[in-house]
Amino acid sequence: MKITINREGQEYGPYPLEQVRELLANGTIQSSDLAHCEGATEWVKVDQIPGIETADDSLPPVLDSAPAVTPSTDTDVPDTYTPTGQHEHEFVIECKPDFSYLTVQVPGNQSLKVESSAMATMSTNMAMKTKMKGGFSRLLGGESIFINEFTAEGGPAEIGIAPGSPGDMDHVYLNGSEEIFLQSSAYVASSMNVEVDSKWQGLKGFFSGEGLFLLRCAGQGDLWFNTYGAMIEIPVDGNYVVDTSHVVAFTSGLQYNVESVGGLKSLFLSGEGLVCRFHGQGKVWIQTRHPMAFANWTWPFRPQKNNG
Amino acid sequence: MQTSIEGGSAFAYINVDLEPGETVIAESDAMSSMSSDLDMDAKFNGGFFSGLAKAYLGGESLFVNHFTNNTSSTRRVTLVQGTPGNTRTIELNGQEFCLQPGAYIASTPGVSLGIKWAGLKSWFAREGLFKLTVSGQGTVWYGAYGGLLEKEVDGEYIVDTSHLVAYEPQMKLNIQLAGGLFSSFFGGEGFVTRLEGKGKIVIQTRSLSGLADWINPRLW
Repeated sequence: MKITINREGQEYGPYPLEQVRELLANGTIQSSDLAHCEGATEWVKVDQIPGIETADDSLPPVLDSAPAVTPSTDTDVPDTYTPTGQHEHEFVIECKPDFSYLTVQVPGNQSLKVESSAMATMSTNMAMKTKMKGGFSRLLGGESIFINEFTAEGGPAEIGIAPGSPGDMDHVYLNGSEEIFLQSSAYVASSMNVEVDSKWQGLKGFFSGEGLFLLRCAGQGDLWFNTYGAMIEIPVDGNYVVDTSHVVAFTSGLQYNVESVGGLKSLFLSGEGLVCRFHGQGKVWIQTRHPMAFANWTWPFRPQKNNG
Repeated sequence: MQTSIEGGSAFAYINVDLEPGETVIAESDAMSSMSSDLDMDAKFNGGFFSGLAKAYLGGESLFVNHFTNNTSSTRRVTLVQGTPGNTRTIELNGQEFCLQPGAYIASTPGVSLGIKWAGLKSWFAREGLFKLTVSGQGTVWYGAYGGLLEKEVDGEYIVDTSHLVAYEPQMKLNIQLAGGLFSSFFGGEGFVTRLEGKGKIVIQTRSLSGLADWINPRLW
């Protein structure tokens, strides 16, 4: 931040914040002089510049009334997301990040693929068809084997989609060359031109525990996926390690190995289990909670007679 | 009366600051904390028979609690819903609103709660034979699991039965299958509610059945 000082009509600077503090301390400028911070719309008094007001205050901060870290509020994260980049269908994601809810506008006579039983609202001219996708291997993917196709018959229609797990949602536009691998329960919806199939990961996938049955999403169009917990998008260049149950999605430019963090001993003793070591260049999305931890946490409180 | 809804969308709660002489009425078990000198009075939810009807047919409690400030300065009571999720208000000015069973949390004294026949169709969709209505003058607090979204419907609109929270009384509700026979049951959608008319509806962005479908396969 650069600060311009105005003293009796004469402008000085701009100075960095540190220098303003020094000038103030040695008396060159007064706290009642006018100051303009770079990018600000108004002139304020020097002692009103953020970062200045406490600089010449020799009293220690009062800890009781002022928390050291300002708690972040809900207003930090907008609860509504509308696409700013490339997209095929108009859509909005609301109630982010705790209970993200997707509403897609589907043009007349076009269709949308939606995770089964996730439809919450829709126009009356939306027709639903159930398609079995991927058959047995998708059953192995932990996801129900059905994806529903919703077609806007005769005119535009909208559909509201609510995933099962509490958490956030994101959108990517597939451009035809890059593919996305999705942890199977993260799938929410996609354009018709996006092919979704389960890819047998071999023993690598099998031994990696819950959640690493992957869906390969290829083609051109929109893809929406959700998390349990908050979502973090991480650009990877080189190597990056993610706990297998926290992997949500990654771009096809990344290769991965499933391994234990630090040898057999730590596999059993550290509680960290297996991780994915990604290498290459691309993006990985992770979730900040994982379903098995939730299941294990609630497990002791399950009603006994109601077994599953 | 100063009120605010705080706690974010996942664990919302209601702060009610009562001026001397003011009262707020809440579902039993909704009070989480209050000033010690507030007077609490458990009353039948609109009379004995009406209360019984609401409890057994409308999914509400038999008793409601009246919190009254008989002191000479402002006192606070904090009210909560039972499920994780968001809380919203309806301002009533003589009109009526319908709430799904269990959504009601609290209201100001000018609001009266009633129940109405919802029809056999509603019962088939596991939504209960009766629906809860709020009417009169004042504020109603209601909540549900998930986020709450308000929508304006003009014409017809379909809502999954487990996602409808509140709607204006002129909306006509019909229960139907989500798609064809095969799709409706194998596609996991089952029954849906078809709303007809012009008015406001409120939906919840998560459902308990969705949560159960998500976590149950992991509990074995």
